Amino acid sequence: MIEFIQGYYAYIFLAATFTIGLYGMMMKQNLMKKVLGMSVVAACTILFWIVSAYKDGAGVTVLDKRYGVENPELYLNPLPHTLMLTAIVVAVVTLGVALALLIGIYREFKTLDEPTLLERMK
Amino acid sequence: MKTLQYFLLLAFLGILVIAVTSLPPRGDVTAPVHQHVNPAGTLVAGTYFIQHAYEDTKTPNMVTVILADYRAFDTMGEVIVVFAGGIACFFILNVRRRKP
Repeated sequence: MIEFIQGYYAYIFLAATFTIGLYGMMMKQNLMKKVLGMSVVAACTILFWIVSAYKDGAGVTVLDKRYGVENPELYLNPLPHTLMLTAIVVAVVTLGVALALLIGIYREFKTLDEPTLLERMK
Repeated sequence: MKTLQYFLLLAFLGILVIAVTSLPPRGDVTAPVHQHVNPAGTLVAGTYFIQHAYEDTKTPNMVTVILADYRAFDTMGEVIVVFAGGIACFFILNVRRRKP
């Protein structure tokens, strides 16, 4: 049981966080909260990759002069971290454009609440 | 309707938990991803980069080397994405007010 918790607590936490982000996107009426939910889902996906790249007995992917590169198992696999750095950039740009759209909506309709917004758009 | 949505979210959480608990546990060195042989003939896809990053570029941080040297064209595409986002923000925020 302890081994199961140690092996999977990060994955289960991430599954719960992903669902919380989806809850924010589905159930909340405020558009700002929906955007926050989208951001939580993106961060959760990125963290999932980082967690699954972890390896017992391995350090960060910065060359340590004391160990050298003869034993590659002393370093984590650097590829998932690099790819997630790319994904972070895309997520940040998506968030920025979404926030700009929210500012535009608020300037036009003076509200971010979805039912009120639909009412005022008629 | 709300009840259905809560039920859907709970079902989704259940599916996710079942899916992640059938993965190898975190940090397991015998997991398939840490045993896969890459085209260079060594274990794990990133081993080539770990062994050659410092020789090739004299930069100790391997993530930086892959991002800015081996995958420099990809990073240039990222800059285009950021630029497109910035231009989109600029034009959205600069739109003229509609006259009432």
